[in-house]
Amino acid sequence: MKSTVIKTTGLRKVYRGRAAVEHLELNIGRGEIYGFLGPNGAGKTTTIRMLLGLIKPTSGRIEIFGQELRKHRLQILRKVGSLVESPSYYGHLNAVDNLEAIRRILDAPKSRIAEVLDIVSLTGEEKRPVKGFSLGMKQRLGIAAALLGSPELLILDEPTNGLDPSGIQEIRSLIKRLPAEHGITVLVSSHLLSEIEQMADTVGIIRQGKMVYQDTIAHLQEQAAGDLRLAVSEPEAALELAKRRGCGGSLQESRVILPRMSDARVALLIKELVENGHAVYRVEERRQSLEQFFLQVVEGGVS
Amino acid sequence: MMWRALSADWLKIRGKGLWFLVFLGPLGLTAMQGLNFGIRYDYLKGQYQSDLWEGLLGNVAGFVPIALYLGGTLICSLIANVEHQMSSWKQLLALPVSRTSVFMAKLLLCLLLLVCSCLLLSAGTLGLGLILGFGSQPVPYADILRLGFASYAGALPVIALQLWLSLSSRNQTFPVAVGITLSLLSIFSMYLSEWMPLTWPALAWEAESPWLFITSGLLLGLLMILPGAIHFARKDVD
Repeated sequence: MKSTVIKTTGLRKVYRGRAAVEHLELNIGRGEIYGFLGPNGAGKTTTIRMLLGLIKPTSGRIEIFGQELRKHRLQILRKVGSLVESPSYYGHLNAVDNLEAIRRILDAPKSRIAEVLDIVSLTGEEKRPVKGFSLGMKQRLGIAAALLGSPELLILDEPTNGLDPSGIQEIRSLIKRLPAEHGITVLVSSHLLSEIEQMADTVGIIRQGKMVYQDTIAHLQEQAAGDLRLAVSEPEAALELAKRRGCGGSLQESRVILPRMSDARVALLIKELVENGHAVYRVEERRQSLEQFFLQVVEGGVS
Repeated sequence: MMWRALSADWLKIRGKGLWFLVFLGPLGLTAMQGLNFGIRYDYLKGQYQSDLWEGLLGNVAGFVPIALYLGGTLICSLIANVEHQMSSWKQLLALPVSRTSVFMAKLLLCLLLLVCSCLLLSAGTLGLGLILGFGSQPVPYADILRLGFASYAGALPVIALQLWLSLSSRNQTFPVAVGITLSLLSIFSMYLSEWMPLTWPALAWEAESPWLFITSGLLLGLLMILPGAIHFARKDVD
């Protein structure tokens, strides 16, 4: 069992009578990339701000590295790097000075600045004022700043928001490298499922401030897996045969639709169909796209 | 921890026009009196012949309170804006540094910059006096030094208030408007009751017992830091 890095219990934040986050239970294990997924305004940023101690929860507990955040905020933050929403930077300073301003507070070694610039591939741009950087570069600088204190936990809020495809690709591969190369646990939020699917090991889906799904990506993909479709010469007869073998199923646009089953059973069924004189034109697995599954979860909870 | 935050702040204000402001205030005041005495040299010299330095200092001192109020307002606003501009608060306050240290570092930075201004004012006034040939009379070094700093102590309550206002809201219109209003009101301090802290910078220089107003300014200034610091330590950062 992996040790837990972030654990929240009954986390709640109320803004002017409206609950932005409601009874949120987060559980993030060490070395994981945890994808925090939800539509805009679902409470992702509010949760992340609470995890960083930027805003106070109305009620509930936050434990990071097994310590309560409220009591040990500075100790915990020493081991946490963060990037919250739009990049924060001092536009009039160059990249090195931006990092130096943070380094002075962290009291990290000076050599660390060159190291993090190298990790985010900004070496060579470090002497230019940051206001002239592209959004992607600013975002990478933000990640460099988050890495400056050699954190054990990295909290990234919408790190790819507003980036072009190549920028997204860069950030994504960067994030995927971190746990393997530096042993860092990553919490990354996004409103795009495809993003999270490509980066995370575990996903938590939040809707209107409530956690509606929390499991591994593999499990999510499994749940979203779709049905089997057969195009055969005599659909009715084929369906009868499938039903006799206990596969259930239905007919749709003269295709036999069968629920998901194991490879061995599919092979057996096809064999029988062929032996009974059916011509099998196509065997397709129609996956319900994860996106559809996600929308289903977000709109009405998981079935 | 506060010193680390201060050293970071020191770096961040580079190229933000703060140093320009620090120099502009005192050198502007000195230049103004240079013009005043340059144009009416003989008249003023006749007027103040018993004590030329006192004449010069008195003329400069008249503008010190408003310069301190305006300068303090703008310095507080510019310092706060360094963080407001690109919403850097969320990044800064998610670092392992206490909110109180961050607040105190900003306050200290603001106060240090104004100390620089006051020193420059004393130096500038001394230089101007010597250029005008007042060196023939004994130079009142203590008074020259007191010129900026006495009023500075009297202005502390307003400066602490301005820092609080500037740090509190992203939009600097309100804090700057308050600061300018107070600066303009301070011109009429001779008509106001001496119980009004607004009059203290002027009184700290010219009253019979200036120490009363210097001490009051220091004490109330310290007191004004408290609500600002507490509010800053507790507020939600967006």
